[in-house]
Amino acid sequence: MFRIIKKSLKIGVVTGRYPRAETPAIPIGAEVKEKAGLFKRSLTIREVDTGSCNACEMEMNALLNPVYDAERCGIHISASPRHADALVVTGPVAINMERALKDVYKQTPDPKIVIALGDCAINCGLFKGSYAVTGPVDRHIPVDLRISGCPPRPAEILEMLTELRKPTV
Amino acid sequence: MVIMDTNAYDDMLKTAFPAIRANEPVCTKSSHFQVPKNLLPAITHYIHTQPNLRGKLTLLWACDHRPSRDTYGLYYLFTLEASHHWMVLSTELTNTDRLFPSITPHIHAAQWYEREIRDMFGLIPQGHPDLRRLVRHEHWPKGTHPLRKDFPWNCVLGRQQGTYHFPHIEGEGVFEVPVGPIHAGIIEPGHFRFSVAGEPIMHLELRHFWKHRGVEKLFEQQPLTDAVSLAERVSGDTTVGHSLAYCQAVEALLHLDVPRRAKYLRSLFLELERLYNHLGDIGAMCNDTAYALAHAHCGRMKEQIMQLNDRLTGSRFLRGVIQVGGVPRDIENAQLVKIVEELNRIQSDFSEVGAIIFANASLTDRLETTGVLNEQTAWDHAVIGIVGRASGMNCDLRRDRPFAAYDELPVNVALYRYGDVRARLRVRGDEIHESIRLIRDIRRKIPDGPIACQPGSLPNPGDWTLSAVEGWRGEILYAVTAGEGGQIHRCKVRDPSFVNWPAIQWAVLGNIIPDFPLINKSFNLSYAGNDL
Ligand code: SF4
Repeated sequence: MFRIIKKSLKIGVVTGRYPRAETPAIPIGAEVKEKAGLFKRSLTIREVDTGSCNACEMEMNALLNPVYDAERCGIHISASPRHADALVVTGPVAINMERALKDVYKQTPDPKIVIALGDCAINCGLFKGSYAVTGPVDRHIPVDLRISGCPPRPAEILEMLTELRKPTV
Repeated sequence: MVIMDTNAYDDMLKTAFPAIRANEPVCTKSSHFQVPKNLLPAITHYIHTQPNLRGKLTLLWACDHRPSRDTYGLYYLFTLEASHHWMVLSTELTNTDRLFPSITPHIHAAQWYEREIRDMFGLIPQGHPDLRRLVRHEHWPKGTHPLRKDFPWNCVLGRQQGTYHFPHIEGEGVFEVPVGPIHAGIIEPGHFRFSVAGEPIMHLELRHFWKHRGVEKLFEQQPLTDAVSLAERVSGDTTVGHSLAYCQAVEALLHLDVPRRAKYLRSLFLELERLYNHLGDIGAMCNDTAYALAHAHCGRMKEQIMQLNDRLTGSRFLRGVIQVGGVPRDIENAQLVKIVEELNRIQSDFSEVGAIIFANASLTDRLETTGVLNEQTAWDHAVIGIVGRASGMNCDLRRDRPFAAYDELPVNVALYRYGDVRARLRVRGDEIHESIRLIRDIRRKIPDGPIACQPGSLPNPGDWTLSAVEGWRGEILYAVTAGEGGQIHRCKVRDPSFVNWPAIQWAVLGNIIPDFPLINKSFNLSYAGNDL
């Protein structure tokens, strides 16, 4: 017990110990912000991988570690699309995942935000054209927000998600 | 078991099977035989079971030789247990011959490989006990075999109706629990179907390949020297492992001699990759037993290393740190000293956390005897990597077939025999300390000098080679064949996950479903690397 407390005291608070990301170059569209405004300061996300290389997933997971601690910004990860406000989709849409993606989209209650995370989800990246890839995410479901990078850093993802929920002036 | 010299193995095989023909070996510490296809079952059985050989099936792949020759080649790679010598057997199917004898009935490890070949090439393994589709899901039209040379890489696939048949266990109180492809956490897609009676799992059937992106076909569209970024994206968490294995294969084909300093830096990157993944895994395993404290500490340390990677190379996943011929950017000696200092701090940090974790009786209770993969099953499935080393498989390529700078960096291999979740946790813990020790060693021994050499001549079309790297999960293999004008003719990618996935079906038997996430995490296999 002592050891645990000692360790925690020694480490202190690590949250926020990361290099800041720049504010996104392209401002987020007004209608997307309006949609996000409905969720006020909390956002429940369901992550769907449709064929990524898994680095994008790892960065999503990193958002939950004590350093980024996305929960402090009101971002939660839900275990089911039925509880989600937003879908985060990573990877090009692989032919075997196409149906699952459409199902998930249908299962997510409206209003919902779809976020394409990573270059693959936005434009298929290196996998473009392959017989087993049926296109970027927006070929199958409407996409509201795009976060580019291969993979985007957690700080960048967090920055975008915060920006998304800032009220428009 | 005695370790014999190479010729002795070759002679043994030639005496037992006079009909086979020895070919030029494709790399060091290997032999290559051309065998008639009807002898395949007998020879593979002999290599697998002969007490002096005990060959483990390491890779099985096919290649469409068109347009240069109208044949399909089949290649079998065995690793001999005592000497880690490689035995390659190859055979050719000519003209319209599409049948080859299955070796699965006596070598269990061949089962997925043969199903994969059937899907990708349309060659039929005769006598295979399970000929259901593997990569091609039921909606793929009949007759699509993507790795055939007459299949266009960018064609649009049609759809058909079809069903996949799961084996059903019947009886009173038995029911099925289907899970996936989309799971509850932030993880990759895969389908698991459990048959349970009450709580304990009686049977688990995996259904994968949801993420199949056609990686091997995409390789064939690229020149040898350009495909490194594709290799990096086979499985993102193994960026260095895959790019290194790929580059080594290309360097062998181009006869490049990589400078020593570059080799040391490659080892450094590989160990950094091992570190951040192992730290993350230990945390995640603790998290699956609801032990959040350990998860937080490990997540913090993992993040520390990923930020270190970012500062060193500009990429948290170490993308772009390896190129054909060497490494693109040097790391100065002063920087190396700093890395070692930071890692020393992380090591003592981790030791303290480790002491807390292993003193936790309820955690130990949860991990011990959970998800046991016994030694015999591990051997039958030719299981490798961390999972293998937790089940008594004494294998680590860094020691057995040294690559990069490991010929000058002796590695102490972590080995446990219990095969449970705890053993897999311990292997990771030991390897973290070992990796940090290796990085200290690298700092001490790294020579000065150039860091890259330029690719010069083109390879001869039809030349092929094998390359192997011990990534953090286990052995990564690449078999690369050169095509016309420096293009890739065929690139077989084998992530360790492909081998270890089927074994998980045995490790879960008798465990309860709530323990499955924990067992799965302790294996932590890649879906992307498996599905390709
Ligand atoms: S964008 Fe990059 S990191 Fe993300 S899935 Fe695609 S290849 Fe992987």
